[in-house]
Formats: sequence, C-alpha cells, structure tokens
Amino acid sequence: MSVRGDFSRQSFLGANSERVLAETRVAIVGLGGGGSHIAQQLAHLGVGHFRLVDPQEIEASNLNRLVGATQKDVEERTPKVKIAERLIRGIRPWARVDVAQAEWQHADHLLKDAHVLFGCVDGYRQRMYLEGAARRFCLPFFDIGMDVTRLAQNRYAVAGQMIMTLPGGPCMRCLGFLTQERLNREEDAYGHAGMNPQVIWTNGTLASLAVGAFVRMLTPWFEASRDFEWLELDGDNQLVSRSRQPDYAIKGPCSHYSSADLGDPFFDIGAVLAGKEMTNFT
Amino acid sequence: MRTIFRATSRFLLEARRDLVRPHGFAAERVGFISVRAAATPSALLLLAEGYHPVADEDYVNDATVGAMMGQHAIRKALDIALLRGLGMFHVHMHDHAGRPGFSRIDLREQLKFVPDFFKVRREMPHGAVVLSRDMAAGRVWFQPASVSAISEFDAVGPRMIVDFAPGELG
Repeated sequence: MSVRGDFSRQSFLGANSERVLAETRVAIVGLGGGGSHIAQQLAHLGVGHFRLVDPQEIEASNLNRLVGATQKDVEERTPKVKIAERLIRGIRPWARVDVAQAEWQHADHLLKDAHVLFGCVDGYRQRMYLEGAARRFCLPFFDIGMDVTRLAQNRYAVAGQMIMTLPGGPCMRCLGFLTQERLNREEDAYGHAGMNPQVIWTNGTLASLAVGAFVRMLTPWFEASRDFEWLELDGDNQLVSRSRQPDYAIKGPCSHYSSADLGDPFFDIGAVLAGKEMTNFT
Repeated sequence: MRTIFRATSRFLLEARRDLVRPHGFAAERVGFISVRAAATPSALLLLAEGYHPVADEDYVNDATVGAMMGQHAIRKALDIALLRGLGMFHVHMHDHAGRPGFSRIDLREQLKFVPDFFKVRREMPHGAVVLSRDMAAGRVWFQPASVSAISEFDAVGPRMIVDFAPGELG
C-alpha cells in the first residue's frame, strides 16, 4: 500500500500504473449523467489530476442519473462540477481537482495541458467543436453519448456510442460519425422521447467503455495500437460492438485538421511572460 | 512556468527513423522540429507540427563534433520560423534507451544559434531537444537570454507516454 492507497487489486495494470495514473491530468467536459460516472471511475482508479468543466447547476430531472448527487443538491442547486469535485475528493482526498462552472470555451485553460479530454456533451455540433479543441492542443479525445428514438407506440430504441480519436488519426468526421446530415438534422430535433432522454445504466455502460479505453491507452495490460475506437451500444439488447462505419467512411488521412490548427492562434511569448492569458474560443 | 513538449507518437517515430540514418561523414544526424504553442497561466505547451531534417549537403565536415551544421542549414530553419510563424527546436538523437542528455558541446553550440531565431520570430519560443530511443530532454528559450529545461514530454498515441524531466512533479 502506498501513501495514495491500496491499488493491489489492479496491480495487473503494470508495475508503474499507480504512479502513471496519479500523474495523469484528465479534463472532463460535461459532468452530467456520463461525466459524473467517468469522474467517479477515474477517482477509484487513482487518477490524480482532474479538470472539470460544466456551466450547469443540478436540476430535479438530473437526479435519475447524476452519480454522487443528492436531493439536497437539487434543493440547493449545487453546480455539477462541485458535485463531481466532492465525489472525487471523497474517494481520493489527495487528488488535485480544478473546476470551472462555465462553458468549456470560457475555460480552455483547463483543457490545454491535460493529457486526455473526455467529452460528455449533448449534440453533434458541440462534439465537433470539442474535438476541434482536442486537436488544437494535441489531446486524445473520448466522446460518449446516447440517444433514444421512438420506434412505435411505447417502443423505443436506446443506443449510444463511445468514440476515441487521436491527433493525427481519423477524426469523428473521418469516421462517419459526424456527418453534415446529422448536424443539419440536429437543428430540428434531438431524440424523440422527450427532451434529450438519458438513463443511468446506459450512461454508466458508455462511461465504463470510455474509462476502459483510457486505461488501455495509459497502461500496458493490453495491446493498444488502434488510433481510433468506435464502440456502439445497442441498449435494447444490451450489446456492445465495434462500429463498421469507419470501414466504409475513412477515405485516407484526416483532411479536417492540419498542423496549422495547433496551438493558440495569436500566441505571443511576450504576452505570456507578461501574464496575459491566451484565449481561443471567446 | 512548466513547459510541456507534446507530439504524436507517429511524429516522434518518423523523426527518430530519420535521425538514426547514417550520414556520409557526420557521426550523427540533426534536424529541426517546428512548433506552435499554447499557454495557460502556469504552463507553456510546445506542439510539434513539423520535422525538418538538415540536408546531407548542409553538414560541415568537422571531426571534433558529432554533427556540425553549415550556414545553409541554419538559414533554412530561420526561413521556416520567419515565413510560417513557428518556433524552432534543434533536434538530434542519442541511439540508446533511457533518458538522454545534452553534452557540453551541445550546450555551447546551442547558445550560438538558438537566440538568433528571436531575430526573425520573437513571439515564439525556440530551443533544442535531444531524443533517445524512448525518451527525450530539452531546453526552451523564452527570450534570447532566458532559457530553462523542458519539464515534460508527451508522446500522444495509442499508447500515451508522459515523461517528466527529473525533479518535475507529476
């Protein structure tokens, strides 16, 4: 047992895995149904540095899925980032947790020097923007999301995805996940079972897939050679499979992001040394 | 301020492959990595965006050093910094595993040419990096006379490697 805790039950992750995870800086954008699961699992794993970004306070309708939240939080309208921070510190008091109750575009300082970025945002367009930020700062990007579609009277299709993309590899547009058709359709409606339907077990399954892919990236317990991952969840049949869409969609090297898109567009080391913050999205 | 040098693992693989190629007379190969940059209140990110090997004909035959660049090599690197608005990091490789380090000659020679990049691109940081087969070390200049060690190297790929310089806390 180390000063951080007893990680003996996950020692198969590698001799240095405790140190590696403790030194890893993760940014999580969106601390609702998906992000709260991810924060909780990463804290249990022993990740040592968290950057949490979400502008919202909890509402009564979030309590069906937001891990760590209480009725008292609903009554006090606790910010979601504060609930996640409390959850993480309750598990790992030594973890460093930086939070911003803000849109991520106003808190990109918490993203830039993270090692990985988890995106738990609603909507295709927000995913596209957030993946763009991951590319700008050369970050692995893990996206999770679910949707419920009405098939017939009282019949619904529950589905979701976990997508991991890497700088230099195919992006979510290359994979065929973010399409112009979907972006356009989103303008009209998102889901058919009420406003953005979400349930805890599906959020939890997708969060677990993302955390599994993250651990595989950081520790040597299993081969890691793919520069993207797209796992599809059939929530009705409780099945997870690797999407075949990229087999047809990838046409070659990513043409959506280039090295010219890296970094702060108006970077000036003189301004940095003078203490002026570089912002990109505001 | 912590300085993080970040590149994709594919980028580093290709740079290493080039740097270990034998040269006609030089004992080692050298090149430049161009970077873009980003900053937070406490960290500077150096984001590798291009690798520029020094051309075979731009080496000077000097047996007292592993590799000596001629004026053409430095002028070409200055052109890249000037015309594309990039920071430039000299790079060479020590062909062994484990943490590499700069030799006294490396440190002396860097002082001769790295500050010159500020004459053409003063708003970008510049510096020098040495790679081994699996790790790296480096120095960054914030201004012509302001230099410090690079704190962390991130290799971003299917297997992410985060390598902290000695003395840097994770």
